[in-house]
Amino acid sequence: MNIALIKQYHENMPKRQARRLALTSLERFGLGAIALRRNPALGNEERFCVMLLRAAMVKDAMILIDQPFQMVPHLKDSGFIMNALKKIDDLYASCHIFDYRWMQDKYGGL
Amino acid sequence: MAFFEILGNRVIRMLSGFAGTIAFSWKVFLRIFQRKTYSSAMREVLVNQIYFTSVQILPLFLLVSIFFGSLFIGIVFTLLKELGLTQFIGHVLMGLIVTELSPFLTVLLITLRSSAAINTEMAVMKVNREIKTLEIFRIDIINYLVMPRIINGIISIVLLSSLFSIVLLASGILFSRVIFGMNMDVYSNLVLNSTDFSDIVISLCKCAVYGFFITLIPIRFGLRASRELTSIPVVVSQGMVNVFGAILMIEVLSLITKLL
Repeated sequence: MNIALIKQYHENMPKRQARRLALTSLERFGLGAIALRRNPALGNEERFCVMLLRAAMVKDAMILIDQPFQMVPHLKDSGFIMNALKKIDDLYASCHIFDYRWMQDKYGGL
Repeated sequence: MAFFEILGNRVIRMLSGFAGTIAFSWKVFLRIFQRKTYSSAMREVLVNQIYFTSVQILPLFLLVSIFFGSLFIGIVFTLLKELGLTQFIGHVLMGLIVTELSPFLTVLLITLRSSAAINTEMAVMKVNREIKTLEIFRIDIINYLVMPRIINGIISIVLLSSLFSIVLLASGILFSRVIFGMNMDVYSNLVLNSTDFSDIVISLCKCAVYGFFITLIPIRFGLRASRELTSIPVVVSQGMVNVFGAILMIEVLSLITKLL
């Protein structure tokens, strides 16, 4: 429910409304069931999606992902990351991914 | 010479720490009156904190206040009877037990339970870099983490101390009947005649000051933790020692205020 906190704090959004919004956003990834879990109980992909959503909760969000393959090490390519970004593309203004040059292959044609 | 250098350094460090705490207290105190402090997120934390500090502790607190309060009232009443000072029951009850003992015991209980928890929580948050994450999201640490805990401290100590006083006065009814054969009307008259409004105001103010500092000091020390896990026990023990120092200082200051 850290996702809801951003809206509650910056926009003074009521608790229920903020939680509903966070839950709806998590449902986009099919992760509604993890809404009440704490960070250590999350898998790598789940944690990545939560962090992404949390970043997207800020108004006119500019998302910067630093070395995403460190967060989800077992991914073979950027498919999962791009798919996740596409699912919430209406929530952020722009997104930049930073990684080392030797990771270029994992990003395919990007 | 080395001895004086070490002593001087310690005194300077202690004084600058004290000045830092006072400056931080003033900053936090001003925020209490700012409307933007009370965001939806802060209010949620405040409600949770009040639940953890005041509601969860109620069964234990009632048990301690009934047991300890009755014991204390019993001893004091027996002593007063033996010394032939029955006419001072009211003054002893209001002046010593209600205005001095209740806030002191309440603050000790809450310090042992909640201040230690707050100190550790803050230190763990600092070590886990949760504080850093909040700062990244432009969430003001004072508004979101500090203020709910401090306001909770003030509310909880005032309410729990009042509850402690009520329990003490109620057990006084029983003991005045058993020891002095006094009926409830006489007892109530004695207590009401000895009640000084200024004493109650000082007592409530003291509770509020206690509540403010027994939450502020652990937060301040908790936030001093470094990124090392080993810094947690260090800042917790420092914080708790300073809290007990602050309690004694407030107690002495309130006694001086009463004397003036």
